[in-house]
Amino acid sequence: MKKILVVEDDMPIRNLYKEELIDEGYEVLTAHDGVAGYQLFKSSKPDLITLDIKMPNMNGLELLDKIRKENKEVPIIIYSAYGEFTQNFSTWAADEYLVKSSDLTEFKNKVKELLYR
Amino acid sequence: MIIKGTDLNAEDTLVKYQDILRQYNIVNQISRTVSNTLDLNRILKIILTGVTFGDGFGFNRAFLFLIDRHSTNLVGRMAIGPGSAEEAWQVWNEIQETNYSLEEFLNSEKFENQPQFSMLDEKIRHLSIPVDKTKIIWQCLEDGIPRNVDLTEYNKENEEKPVDKNIQNGGPISDIFICDPASIDHELVEYIDYPKFCIIPLICRTKKVGILIVDNKYNQREIKPDDIEFLQMLGQFASSSIRNTLIYNDLKDSISALAKLNTKLRYLKEYNEKIIESIPVSIFVVDHNFTLTMCNENCGILMGIEKDNIIGRQIDTHRVFIDGLDLMEELGRVINENKAEGFYKVNLSIDNKKPESIFDIVLVPFKFSEDTPEGALIIVEDVTNTVRLEQELNNAKKLSRLGKLSATVAHEIRNPLIAIGGYANRLKRKYSESGQTDMQSLDVIINEVSRLERIVNDILDYASNKEIKFSSVNISELLMECLILAEAAAEQNAIDIVFSCGKDIVQGQSLYVNGSRDHLKQALINIINNAIDASSKKDKISMCIYRQEENAFENIVIEINNIAPLGSKEDLTNIFLPFYTTKTKGTGLGLTITKKIIEQHSGRIEVKSSIENGTTFAIKLPLLKI
Repeated sequence: MKKILVVEDDMPIRNLYKEELIDEGYEVLTAHDGVAGYQLFKSSKPDLITLDIKMPNMNGLELLDKIRKENKEVPIIIYSAYGEFTQNFSTWAADEYLVKSSDLTEFKNKVKELLYR
Repeated sequence: MIIKGTDLNAEDTLVKYQDILRQYNIVNQISRTVSNTLDLNRILKIILTGVTFGDGFGFNRAFLFLIDRHSTNLVGRMAIGPGSAEEAWQVWNEIQETNYSLEEFLNSEKFENQPQFSMLDEKIRHLSIPVDKTKIIWQCLEDGIPRNVDLTEYNKENEEKPVDKNIQNGGPISDIFICDPASIDHELVEYIDYPKFCIIPLICRTKKVGILIVDNKYNQREIKPDDIEFLQMLGQFASSSIRNTLIYNDLKDSISALAKLNTKLRYLKEYNEKIIESIPVSIFVVDHNFTLTMCNENCGILMGIEKDNIIGRQIDTHRVFIDGLDLMEELGRVINENKAEGFYKVNLSIDNKKPESIFDIVLVPFKFSEDTPEGALIIVEDVTNTVRLEQELNNAKKLSRLGKLSATVAHEIRNPLIAIGGYANRLKRKYSESGQTDMQSLDVIINEVSRLERIVNDILDYASNKEIKFSSVNISELLMECLILAEAAAEQNAIDIVFSCGKDIVQGQSLYVNGSRDHLKQALINIINNAIDASSKKDKISMCIYRQEENAFENIVIEINNIAPLGSKEDLTNIFLPFYTTKTKGTGLGLTITKKIIEQHSGRIEVKSSIENGTTFAIKLPLLKI
C-alpha cells in the first residue's frame, strides 16, 4: 500500500485530505507543521508528500528544500491558498503545484499520476 | 579783405585780385561739395583736398585734428600730402594732366577711388595731444587766431616775440610768428618734420572743434597773410560743417539707439504676450469700472465668444457666478480691499451656461501704472484633469487599502471554505453511492462554496502585487487564442462574435506589445466574457481592432461591443470598481482586475454606452516598434 505524508496546519483540511486519500486506498500520515513533517519523512519514508506552503514553525517551502537536499526522488505536491507562489522558483523543486480547492478531483488525480508514473 | 601795401603797381594788383578771386572760388567750391554730404570722413577729405589742390590754395600738405569728446585731447583725424618730394612731384604732374577744376575733381571718380592709406595719414591717427594751455595750438584754440609758425629763427635772445605783441594789440595776425619749438608739442613737431607751418583753429561759435595745419614742405613757398585770411574763412566754414555733421551723427546714433530700444521693447512685449497667450490659463484684466481691458485667447474659449468681442466691454455684460457667488461682488471687494482672493475647485456659470469643467479662480488687485486707479486680474484655470487625477489617486489609495484588507479576510475565509466544500463534496459522493439524502441541497452548498472560492481567489489575485514579468507578446496571436476560447462560451448562448474591422490584424499580422502573456490573456478573456455575459441569446458581439498613432507611439485598440446598453450613468463611472456588478453571476472583480492589468501594461481601458449603440469597451495598448 502506497504511503502518503500530508503536511497541513489547518486541521479540518488535514482531515479532509486524509479521509479522501484513505478512500482512494492509500495509507496516510499527517503532520501539523514543517518540523513534524520532516520527522515523519525521516522515520516513515513515504511514497509521496503533499505540502501546504503557509505553516507555522517551518513552512512548506523550507521543508521542501530540506527534503530535496536528502531525497530527490520522492514525489512532492505543493499547494497553497493562492497563486502567488507560482512565481517563486523554489516551488520548481516540487513535482506538482496546485491551488487549494474544495474540489479534490484534480488533487487526487495528480497523486495517482505521480505515484504510478 | 584787406589788400595790404599801397606801393603795388597795376599789374601786381591785377595778379593779386586774380588770386583773391581764385581763392574765393575755391572756398565756394569746397562749400558746395561739402554741403552735399553728412559723412564726416568725406567732409574732412574734401576740406583737406581743397586746401592742397594745385589750382586752389595749393598747400603741399594739410593736417586735421579734432577735439575728442571723451578725452578732450586733440586727436589726429586725417592728413593729405605726399610722403616725399618725388611723390609730390608725381602727384602734381598727375593733377595737371587731368586739368580738372577742384569741384570737378571732388566729384570725379578719381577722388572717390583715391586710396585712403598713406604713411602721413596713417601716422596722424596715432597722435593724441593732451590739453596744455602753455602750448601754441591750445592758445590758438583759446583766442581763435591762426599762427603762422616759424621754428627756424628762434633763439633765446629774441624771446620778446614781436607777433605776440601784435596779437595783444589786436594788430595784424598774419605776421610770421617766430617761436620756441618747445612751445609746440614735441610729438607734433616730430610728425610735421618741417619748421614752417600755419595753424588754423577750427571753432564753431564758441565751441572748439579742432585745428587745421598746412605747410609747404616740398616747394617751400612762404605762407602769405592773404593765404591765412582765406584759410581762416575756410576754417570757419569747415568748423561749422564738421560740428553740424558731428551733431547729425550723434542724432543719428541716438535715433538708431532709440530704434533698437524700440525693437527690443516690441520684442519684449511680444514675448510677454506670447507667454500670456501660451499658458493654459485664462487671464482677464479689468479696470476700476469693471471694463475688460485685456485678455488672452483662452478667455475667448472659456466665454465662448471671440476674444475681440470681450475687450472693451463691461464684465457685467455677462452674468458670471463662481459656485453661486456673483463675480461682480467679489471683484468689487477685491478692488476695494486691495486683497487677492482665491476660489479653488469651483464650478462656473457664465450667462446661465455651466461648463462641466472645474476651475481654480484667483482675483488679484492690479494696477497697470501709478496714475491709473486700481483694477483687477481674473485668472481662471481649468483644473478638471488635476481634480480627476486627484480623485483617481484617492480611489487607488482606497482600493489599495481595501485590497489589503480583503486579502487578509479572504485568506482567513479560504481554509474553512475549502473544508466545508470539500466535506460537502465528500458527502455528496458518499450518499450518491447509497442513493440517499437531499442531493439538491448538497448541490447548493457545493455551488455556493465554489462561488465563494472564486470570489476569494479573485480578491487575492487583485490584491496581490504580483510582479509582472514583461516580454514581447504577439498580441495578434493572443487575441486569436482568446477568441477561440470565447467562441466556445458564446456558442452555448447562440451568440455570434463578428469583426466589424481589423480581422486582418488578428489573422494575418503579427503585432507585438510589451507585457505578460498570462495577464493580458486574463484581461482579454475577462472583457470578452463580460460582453458575452451582458448579451442575451442570439445577440451579436462585434469586435473592431485597429492601430492608432498617438504622439510618438502607436497603439493597438481593441473595441468590443455588445448590444445591451448599461443600465445607468452610474454604471459607466463605477463599472471598474471592485464588487460593482450589473450581472447576477460573477465576482464583481473581473473588470477591476482587467483595468488593473491594462494599466500595468501602460494601456487604457474606456467604456461608453448608449441605447442606440449598446456598450463598447475599448482597450488601448502601446505597440512595440519592431
